[in-house]
Amino acid sequence: MIVEAFRGKTILVTGTTGFLGKSIVEKCLRSIPEVGRINLAIRSSTRRPAAERLEREVLASPAFKRLREELGEETFSKLVKEKLAVLELDLGRDGLGLSDAGREQLRECEIVIHSAAAVEFDNPADLSAQTNLLGAARMVEALKAAGSRPHLVHVSTAYVGGMLRGLVREQAPHDPGLNWRHEAAVLSNLRPVVEEESRRPEILKRLRREAGAKMGPAGTPAVARTTERLRDRWVKDKLIERGRVHANAMGFADIYSFTKAMAEHAIVELHGDIPLSIVRPSIIESALAEPFPGWLEGFRMAEPLILAFGRGILQDFSGLPDALLDIIPADFVVNTVLAVAANPPPDDKPRVYHAASGTRNPLRFREVEDASRRYFTKNPLRDKYGQAIGTPTWTYPTRGQLSAQATTALRFVEAAQWVVERLPLGADVAKVSDDLNGERERLERAVNLIQLYGVYTEVDCIFDTRHVTEIWDKVPSEERKQFPFDPALYDWDHYFQDVHLPTVVRMSRAETVVRKGKQPTGSTAVKPESSSVRSAIERRTGRADVLAVFDVDGTLVETNIVEYFLWMRLRAQPLEDWPSFMAQMLREAPRWLYLERRSRADFQRTFYREYKGLDYEVMKGLGREALDAVTLRRIYPEGMRRIREHKRAGHRVLLLTGALDVVVQPLADLLEVEVDCAHLLIDADGRLTGDLQSPPPAGEARGTLLEEYATRNGIVLAESFAYADSLSDLGMLELVGTPVAVNPDARLSQVAGQRGWRIERWRMAPGNWRLPMPDPRSPEYREAVRR
Amino acid sequence: MARPGAVIEVDRNTPPVLFHFGEGVRLEKLPLGARIVYPPDPLDPIAHPERAIKRALAKPLDDDPLKSLLRRGMKLTIAFDDLSLPLPPMAAPDVRQLVMEEVIDMAAEAGVEDIHLIAALGLHRRMTADEIRHIVGDRIFSTFWPDRLYQHDGEDPEANVYIGKTSAGEDVTLHRRAAESDLVIYVNLTLVPMDGGHKSMATGLATYRGIREHHNVKTLMSSLSYMNPPDSALHHSCIRQGQLIEDTVRVFHIETTVNNRAFPSIANFMQKRETDWTAQDQAMFLGMKQFTDIAPPAFKRSVFHAMRAPYGLTGVHAGQVDAVHEKTLEAVRNQISVRVEGQTDIVTIGVPYLGPYNVNAPMNPVLVVCMGLGYLFNFYKNKPVLRKGGVAILTHPCRYEFDAVQHPSYIDFYDEVLADTTDPQEIETKYELRFAEDPWFRQLYRKSHAYHGAHPFYAWYWAAHAMDHAGDIIIVGGDRDVVHRLGFKCATTLEDAFEMAEQTVGRYPSVTHLRMPPILLADVE
Repeated sequence: MIVEAFRGKTILVTGTTGFLGKSIVEKCLRSIPEVGRINLAIRSSTRRPAAERLEREVLASPAFKRLREELGEETFSKLVKEKLAVLELDLGRDGLGLSDAGREQLRECEIVIHSAAAVEFDNPADLSAQTNLLGAARMVEALKAAGSRPHLVHVSTAYVGGMLRGLVREQAPHDPGLNWRHEAAVLSNLRPVVEEESRRPEILKRLRREAGAKMGPAGTPAVARTTERLRDRWVKDKLIERGRVHANAMGFADIYSFTKAMAEHAIVELHGDIPLSIVRPSIIESALAEPFPGWLEGFRMAEPLILAFGRGILQDFSGLPDALLDIIPADFVVNTVLAVAANPPPDDKPRVYHAASGTRNPLRFREVEDASRRYFTKNPLRDKYGQAIGTPTWTYPTRGQLSAQATTALRFVEAAQWVVERLPLGADVAKVSDDLNGERERLERAVNLIQLYGVYTEVDCIFDTRHVTEIWDKVPSEERKQFPFDPALYDWDHYFQDVHLPTVVRMSRAETVVRKGKQPTGSTAVKPESSSVRSAIERRTGRADVLAVFDVDGTLVETNIVEYFLWMRLRAQPLEDWPSFMAQMLREAPRWLYLERRSRADFQRTFYREYKGLDYEVMKGLGREALDAVTLRRIYPEGMRRIREHKRAGHRVLLLTGALDVVVQPLADLLEVEVDCAHLLIDADGRLTGDLQSPPPAGEARGTLLEEYATRNGIVLAESFAYADSLSDLGMLELVGTPVAVNPDARLSQVAGQRGWRIERWRMAPGNWRLPMPDPRSPEYREAVRR
Repeated sequence: MARPGAVIEVDRNTPPVLFHFGEGVRLEKLPLGARIVYPPDPLDPIAHPERAIKRALAKPLDDDPLKSLLRRGMKLTIAFDDLSLPLPPMAAPDVRQLVMEEVIDMAAEAGVEDIHLIAALGLHRRMTADEIRHIVGDRIFSTFWPDRLYQHDGEDPEANVYIGKTSAGEDVTLHRRAAESDLVIYVNLTLVPMDGGHKSMATGLATYRGIREHHNVKTLMSSLSYMNPPDSALHHSCIRQGQLIEDTVRVFHIETTVNNRAFPSIANFMQKRETDWTAQDQAMFLGMKQFTDIAPPAFKRSVFHAMRAPYGLTGVHAGQVDAVHEKTLEAVRNQISVRVEGQTDIVTIGVPYLGPYNVNAPMNPVLVVCMGLGYLFNFYKNKPVLRKGGVAILTHPCRYEFDAVQHPSYIDFYDEVLADTTDPQEIETKYELRFAEDPWFRQLYRKSHAYHGAHPFYAWYWAAHAMDHAGDIIIVGGDRDVVHRLGFKCATTLEDAFEMAEQTVGRYPSVTHLRMPPILLADVE
């Protein structure tokens, strides 16, 4: 019956880059080779033309693996060439942006399966309206304009009825009293409004402050970029929220089901004499058997939940444990769609079909939890130590309670993070901060899941499937084997234990096997910690156009400009003056800490004023002494090794630092490398004025300095290395091909983690820490002060 | 007369014995029948050092009186041993100061004007001004520092000259000023038989090129032991080099020896045998033990390193190098020799807080090996106290601690080289040259206060013989990770260490404890 109906027909499938559309095309190609031609509606994206998208986003999918294997590569491509054609159309444009040839192609279609949709529940309002609602309307208009009368099969969702209770009938949607044109206009026009709103001074100020707290020391451009990114996210979040609130107000769970419902209204109104069937699948999950058991693409609805359960992220979940959770395997939906397509309605009254399991093979929410528990008990996920993660027991509180709990926990973690990031401890808190970050992400995910999916576990309705069953009854028994779509045909236990859960775990790439343990401590084997940087150095050996640029304070030496100043000043004054000098320094400390946090450049500028009136030659002498007393004692041996490796490899080495020449120059001389550091102006008497000769090399200035240096010396920055410890070095790190965050502070650690930069922890040789003050008992000190 | 050294067998009445334990001490009960080897008591010092020095300079051995060698307009260079000797540093005045003041007075009388003083530190670290002042005294320091009193730099291509090859083909180099002088006076302090003689000039004023000729695994493996020069390939090589130097430049040697009063009265219990401890010594021990158990390492270290030894001068000899050194060695042996009958299955040694290369710095793990298995293990004549395949047990906390200024090359040696292998031969072929020629280490050696890049290798070779000879090496109380990195075993208590050792040497092993410092030389029959 189905095969017969498709014989020699030309069909059009939309949404073929998506999961369902792709599955439909595959099934047609494999089981109905008698089909005349399948047109795939694909839009050219900015990156790829439609034809390339067919190859890379459709045919390359694992869904076609079975067919390729069965036919052999050659026959497969012959079949593809013969049966498949791209019809370039854009649902976002009126008239679908069709060319004349396209219009002709469209006119020839005898069956149109419209399965394109923006399926995420949390899409921005305008995107959902454009794709789901207006897309469907435009499709119908285009068909009418082309003057063709194909059988239109519109794939909708079972949840178009909103949050109903009891039996949901297979009938055209009843009028909620909404005008779909008006709704579409409202939702589509939200973006300019929200964009406008996002530029309100108080919002921009807040975002700018947030960006400043995150990226302050990295310099103005970095903060500006972050602000813009935050604003973009704010707009998206707002649009999502507006969409959700709008949908909720209209009695729907989310923007997806709302726009889909409106779309049904639109096409029912518009279709005229075009035969129309609407297939409403419930929750589509991985395929039971075709093209292979567990075929699934992208995470849909239940997967994040199941994984969160297996990972122990969701310690509890809301919902009605005895409510029906209507899940339907993808291949059953495909077969339903094909069977419906083969049975056009006899008149121009639209027919509605529920592809749902609730009536024939009911599954309760609690059973899913049980199935998951059984599965994860047998095949547990592993934590980062390789230990099995235990499964939680859900108690099903109300959604409000649960969400309140999670939100409170989230606030606590955020508060802790706020405090930690502001501690002036640098690399020491990075670990704690990273942990908190992980915890925050976990909680955010949980809150998100509860918000998005909580509703669906509270739906207390049954989807009527009488129309589908009627068709099923008409399917001859030999075709029933080939196109099964009666949910009573399978057993949930088998589906979850053998098909779906293994698929979810496989796709998440979660750890399920015990890894080889870490090496025992005290092992004398060389740690492969920096192996990737090392191998990068080796690969670029002998290239004089490669630069290795190092920050100094905190990256090569565990010290900062304050400690040097302290040491040099104390060294130059008699012991009895120490207390008053220290008291003065302590008084200033909070101001410096604040400035340092806000902007490294401001801090340096302010701090260097302290040098006003000091004799330059004397300071130079003290700087030379500080080399032995402070610098060499606090140096990171690993850093010295790395510099030498670069030099051995023939690279240029540059120290780029905001520290003063008097303290850095001796180190650079000893290392025999170039240095770019801060210089203070000197007056006629050879005394320092406390003013800088040029802006401090911090924040974005570092980036420009480095670029400048690179052009001057013919350096290829994309092949170069940069080592730095703080966010104020971001400009420099971003420029090079191999950035390495050394002992990063909490904020740089986050950035490095996001961008996949190498993070290394270098340590001082133990037992060398001293207060940054000269030993007052030493004869050298006594001698110097006497002089 | 001072009491000679002794070997005491542990019986029921023997009190527990002292083990040095880094900046700390342990009191351990040894099994019945174990032997404890004690050094001789300090010899009586010479009553009037200045007179003795004058006498030695006036009546040198096999040489003319110093006075007759000095003349107006000559180029005179005085070289002297660095702070690696004696240990702990000597309470002021240092003997070298006394000798040098005498020599300079004499030179001034003779009208010599061109006098340079060079610290002959070989590949050791440069000393701080303060440390030099301690050796030469205020008078000399204020007159000569820093233009005419300075330190040898084995990596300065301008300041060193190549002398030639010895009969065995060894390269010889010398500090340029010394090579171009009319007379070099070497002022030495010999604490252990390894020091002095030809080795003074051949290593103290040489470069890496000259020193590597004998500071290598092959030579050290055939120096059994290097504490007894006649049996030492190291010294034979130094003698060949030294003779070539003596042919090039006129050298007048002045060697001094001191007794073994290594600890000030506050730590008298370390000096004395446990049977001799008075109530006061007991109290001092208890106080020290309590202090070292709870004090943080850095604080303990500052206290320990402030200790100055009240050494007494026991001999001063001047003149021709061979004649002088023979007398010197005799004086040293008189002070430290102890006759020990036969070898033993297990040797126990307490490693103290200080070795030649960590004055004013923590003793890092590599130096612990150098001290325990290098110096202390090699204090023997004829045969090691430990039988071949026996077990050496050391006590030291062996913390992962390095002085970043003095020992930068040690850090890399530990992190990179020892992580790869602990075999001295392999280490030598694979890594030594790279470290020795590393420009960073060279800079730190020349401009800062760091040991030469090759120095950690020498420290490791120093223990090569012991690592080869011993069947097993156990460090009691060490940091487990560190001890494993060094390639040894780690035990918490001495009892456990004995228990572990029995796996190697069998049940009821014979045990000998070398109770030093104060230093002793075991003359094993």
